[in-house]
Amino acid sequence: MPIMDLSALLRASGESDDALARREIAREHLASYSMPTGREEVWRYVDLDFALGDFELAPPPGADTPPTEDEATDASARAQIVDGAVVAAAARADGLRCERVAGGEESLVPADMDIFTAAHDAFCSEWVEIAVDKGKAIELPVVVDVSALSSAASFPGVRVDVADGAELTIAIRLDSADDVAALVVPHIEGRVGANANLTVVVDQEWGRQTKAIGQLVFSVGRDSSIQLAEAGLGGALARWQLNIKLAGQGSNAQVIGAYFGDRDQTLDYRYVMHHAAPNTHSTMFLKGAVEDEAGSIFTGMIRIDEEAQRTDAFQTNRNLILSDGASSQSVPNLEILANDVKCGHASTVGQLDPEQRYYLMSRGLDPMRADRLQVRGFFQEALNRFPVPEMVEPLRERFYQKYLDAQAGGRV
Amino acid sequence: MSNALEIRDLRAGIGDLEILKGVDLEIPFGEIHALMGPNGSGKSTLSHALMGKPEFTASGSVLLDGTELLGRPVDERARLGLFEAFQYPVEVPGVSLDEFVAELADAAGNGSFQERVATATAELGMERFIDRPINEGLSGGEKKRSEMFQMAIALPKVAVLDEIDSGLDVDAVREVAGLVERARSDALGVLLITHYSRILNYMEPDRIHVMIDGRIVRSGGPEVAAELEATGYETLRAELGLVPERDPLLDLP
Ligand SMILES: Nc1ncnc2c1ncn2[C@@H]1O[C@H](COP(=O)(O)OP(=O)(O)OP(=O)(O)O)[C@@H](O)[C@H]1O
Ligand SMILES: [Mg+2]
Repeated sequence: MPIMDLSALLRASGESDDALARREIAREHLASYSMPTGREEVWRYVDLDFALGDFELAPPPGADTPPTEDEATDASARAQIVDGAVVAAAARADGLRCERVAGGEESLVPADMDIFTAAHDAFCSEWVEIAVDKGKAIELPVVVDVSALSSAASFPGVRVDVADGAELTIAIRLDSADDVAALVVPHIEGRVGANANLTVVVDQEWGRQTKAIGQLVFSVGRDSSIQLAEAGLGGALARWQLNIKLAGQGSNAQVIGAYFGDRDQTLDYRYVMHHAAPNTHSTMFLKGAVEDEAGSIFTGMIRIDEEAQRTDAFQTNRNLILSDGASSQSVPNLEILANDVKCGHASTVGQLDPEQRYYLMSRGLDPMRADRLQVRGFFQEALNRFPVPEMVEPLRERFYQKYLDAQAGGRV
Repeated sequence: MSNALEIRDLRAGIGDLEILKGVDLEIPFGEIHALMGPNGSGKSTLSHALMGKPEFTASGSVLLDGTELLGRPVDERARLGLFEAFQYPVEVPGVSLDEFVAELADAAGNGSFQERVATATAELGMERFIDRPINEGLSGGEKKRSEMFQMAIALPKVAVLDEIDSGLDVDAVREVAGLVERARSDALGVLLITHYSRILNYMEPDRIHVMIDGRIVRSGGPEVAAELEATGYETLRAELGLVPERDPLLDLP
């Protein structure tokens, strides 16, 4: 049954009457939302060729759901979300909690942003909650796998709480098979206390037919820092709206991104860095490429509140168009209400540099090899900044492989 | 000895602009020739036209060890044995020199390449910046050193070194001159483009050519450099009855 026509919501195991009743109200509200038209500023440039109502709600995964392989990478905790349901969550480190929670506290993402956040409010019945105790530095990363198995809509939720003085790294991997035509609306959100540090690395590799409309929302406390890196490789449409609020004095954020759209992929980034306190510092550094008929969108907003004096903020977005049919939008925005700030942006959309190609070829490399090297270097500038070095090597190869495939397919 | 490089009536330009207006030059194997000339006379254009830089059109003939280069793509010229050390080495962000060398080794696919890399790395003290992005953030001298390193591993038949001495301190100039002299062999011809006779003090060029306005107007032995040093290009222009093209820089006090 299509998602909009459901007669009743299914209670998640452990979900309280109150929580279910709240979701029922949210579901009724959903009827008053319509799909974005593209005229809204945050939906510009993206063409949504589907309606939420086209999808059924993903059924709870069966007991035969394959568990995450216990990989060689050590983890302090592991969680697995399949079709929106939390099928595994366990921590192995002292001072760290990683568990499935039905219902729970209010989300950092306002439900009324759009039809997708409203739907998340109604249909996300269980979350992975990760919390690290005061003063605890957890050395190994928490690994969270989010996947879609059925061609239906799912609403995964991951909530992170980093207490004062604590340190945590989370690696989030998102994927689905190429034949899964799912709509996934993942919400990943977190609060970082004072003097704390959170590192998040997102490895996005949705299958070719999966559409993902996600939220990354964090609030950062006094003298704390967040590093957030995303590698965007998959999806028919993969969109992230990011909002980092530097809420405490002296807090800082570093956002890094590398993305590569091939064939008819659309990769859509709407990033907001919100400086809400004095002496806050932020950088965004994203590099992306598109080939064939792929499209990418980056709109970056640095918002500096009136009280956020002595803020230092910079955003960089560089795009490489590798085929005539590909397109890339890069739109930096600044909204500055304080007067004592350092703030800037650099944004480019360009093609492979003929001078570099000439130089590399003059040493004997054929044009295919020369371009490969240039593309590799292009991504390396972003990937080298990724905070979890063990994740970088495989990513490097996957970005490179994507370009090799494009060359082999004669698309670039 | 046969010719490493034989240039006949080479004309090159960009669009409608003719920059090289008929260049003839022969460099036998085993010889080092210097090419001098005022700013904008066409020296780098010659070097790029030999290499086949796409924006330049070229006509005439360029034989490298008897093989015609004109009409061939850049990488093929390189594989045939031409090496160009760039006056302005190009930055390749994000690609370290050793990654580049690994790609070259993979493309070359033979064992002796690795040996040359090891030797050249040690000889030129490349360890310090081999893991840094190509030419990015390197000092002027380091860039030139990197070019010499790449020449050493390319093992070319003809090396065109475009101002390999510019931006170098006195010691570095002497060192580079030494490297060029050491590279001298019966299997190599060198065209060394320079503004300064200083580098020529540390090496023994077999011939010196002077280019003005896209033509080689004088060729001779080491005495040509001394002559130029004493009189400058304007005197030579006047002697040859060449009308000087107005250079606004000359009007500066
Ligand atoms: N890409 C280009 N577009 C337009 N004109 C060019 C281009 N490249 C070279 N030229 C012109 O051709 C002439 C010769 O330039 P070239 O760089 O060959 O001189 P050069 O002898 O190497 O000078 P220098 O000693 O300053 O390096 C100059 O007038 C230059 O402006
Ligand atoms: Mg020059």
